[in-house]
Amino acid sequence: MYEGVSFLPLTWPDMLYMAPELFLAAVFLLLVVADLLLPQKVSRLSIGWMTVAGLLGAAGFVVYRLIDLQGSGREVGQVIELLGASYVVDQFANLLKLVFLAGTALVALMALGSVKQDKDITDRAELFYLLLPAAIGAMIMASSGNLVTLYIGLELLSITSYVLVALRRRSSKSAEAAFKYVVIGGISSAFILFGMSYLYGLTGSVDLGDFRTALPEVMTSYPALMYAGFFFLIAGFAIKIAAAPFHAWAPDVYQGAPTPVSAFLAVVSKGAALAAVLRILYNSAFFISGGGGGGVKPVGNDVYLALLVLAAAAMLAGTTAALRQRQMKRLLALSGVANAGYLLVPIGLNFTTVHSSNVSEFIFYLIVYLLMTIGAFAVLTVISQAAGHEELKGFSGLYYRAPWTSAAMVVFILSLAGLPVSGGFFAKLFILMGAASAKAYWLVAIMVISSVISYYFYFAIVRQMFMRSSSEEESEIRVSAPTGIVIWLCAGATVALGLMPGLLMDWIQAIFTIRGDLLIGLG
Amino acid sequence: MLPSYLTMAAILFCIGLYGALVKRNAVVVLLSVELMLNAVNLNLIVFSKYGVAPSLTGQVFSLFTITVAAAEAAVGVAILIALFRAKGTVNVDEYDEMRR
Repeated sequence: MYEGVSFLPLTWPDMLYMAPELFLAAVFLLLVVADLLLPQKVSRLSIGWMTVAGLLGAAGFVVYRLIDLQGSGREVGQVIELLGASYVVDQFANLLKLVFLAGTALVALMALGSVKQDKDITDRAELFYLLLPAAIGAMIMASSGNLVTLYIGLELLSITSYVLVALRRRSSKSAEAAFKYVVIGGISSAFILFGMSYLYGLTGSVDLGDFRTALPEVMTSYPALMYAGFFFLIAGFAIKIAAAPFHAWAPDVYQGAPTPVSAFLAVVSKGAALAAVLRILYNSAFFISGGGGGGVKPVGNDVYLALLVLAAAAMLAGTTAALRQRQMKRLLALSGVANAGYLLVPIGLNFTTVHSSNVSEFIFYLIVYLLMTIGAFAVLTVISQAAGHEELKGFSGLYYRAPWTSAAMVVFILSLAGLPVSGGFFAKLFILMGAASAKAYWLVAIMVISSVISYYFYFAIVRQMFMRSSSEEESEIRVSAPTGIVIWLCAGATVALGLMPGLLMDWIQAIFTIRGDLLIGLG
Repeated sequence: MLPSYLTMAAILFCIGLYGALVKRNAVVVLLSVELMLNAVNLNLIVFSKYGVAPSLTGQVFSLFTITVAAAEAAVGVAILIALFRAKGTVNVDEYDEMRR
């Protein structure tokens, strides 16, 4: 009864295509052994610098592949598929891998600058080298062309993040946050898998490329199973990306985790899960959506509508919950919930003839979100070191104690709030115009309303910074070199994207085609 | 046969979700999450025999999920032990240090 399944082993040329992941894995193993063998008196910060070097090396391989793919003058739809199309190397994957590697490298730098102040972390080397398997997991998710590969990447990322959250071993808050994250993460994995199992049952395949033909055939006969499959999948991923109403874990977990790990969860974990949603839905639900002939209501339309409702709920819930938040990490977590909503908008607005730049809007927003969020978390590590806590009042009088750092923080807040001369303004504008051209005016209204609400708590931070504090002594705050690099790289790039957004947007649109770089198996 | 197996898996999934959300004992919470993952395995295996297009892939997929679930449980229990050492209790109601 089973048809023959041909197994395609990994060949040497295939290994070359997987060079970024394999290189990172090799660096990871090397660093684990190095941590064991190095004598106690050698500073573990050297392992941190090697982690950053490894991430940059892997990014080099990705850039090489990206240029190679662009320059080869390939036909539309000609992509690199490994292991029977379970692993695809296309420009969508390459762009996202660059984002994840850059994000992880910035997080590692931030950890280098702040790990010494955190007395709760007993094994500093682990904070650095455990970022590598998590980055590999995110890269596998961006590259997967098959539900099994996607699940493996997701779990590699999740399980490593559970350990990362628990790294402040002397703090009971860290263990509590990690336990909450394990339970919620396990539930979300179960939801995702339950949805995947229904999709597999309907199509008899786990390959994203097969869904395109198999799903429309069974849409009319098994609509209920298909709804169940997609909705379980969306609910599971909504927990992973912390979109309301599945976001309640995020503030607790971010608060208990070491600050660089919170930034990692906010940027790389969230981005990888969003990339997976984008890849799965545009390879499956896209082909059962649209006008629908013969009185059949296409299931895919409701799937996309569910994503938009989720996006709207996340934007409103994130911003309103942040209004009365005085703990900076929880505030940034809730701002991440609202940003997850913005990132879901281009995914939930289906491709139409008038609006087909969804993916470039998504990637642009993800890059801007990465810069401003990591920058804000980096400033927070500086403040919490000086103040000894992570409350909002730690920012009071920052302008008089560290004028340059507070200038950078103003840039990040302008970007988070979506005001001009920052990347955040154009990122939001592109998504807003996309939603308007797709005629989703109710969503445009919600995006504008939630932006306006968010000004209140973002500018509360600015007000604190320029308010002269009377209680504390006004000594100058020192910023360590790696943290300074992170803050100024992020601030510089945010301003640059605010001045010249067209450069990046045009570049993304030039190298990315929907047919060749997102859909699988059209070659 | 298919509907009864699917109902069985759905019931297992719901029992697991109920346990994960309601139970007070942290070990039982982890067990309930495993129950949810096992409901998925049952689904995959049933579909690989009675599905719309039966194939071996479902059984292979379930092998992957079993392995990964074991890894996840190992990390989960390790974190629970660390938490138990810090707090001296497995009652999840008392894990509320960060609530405000």
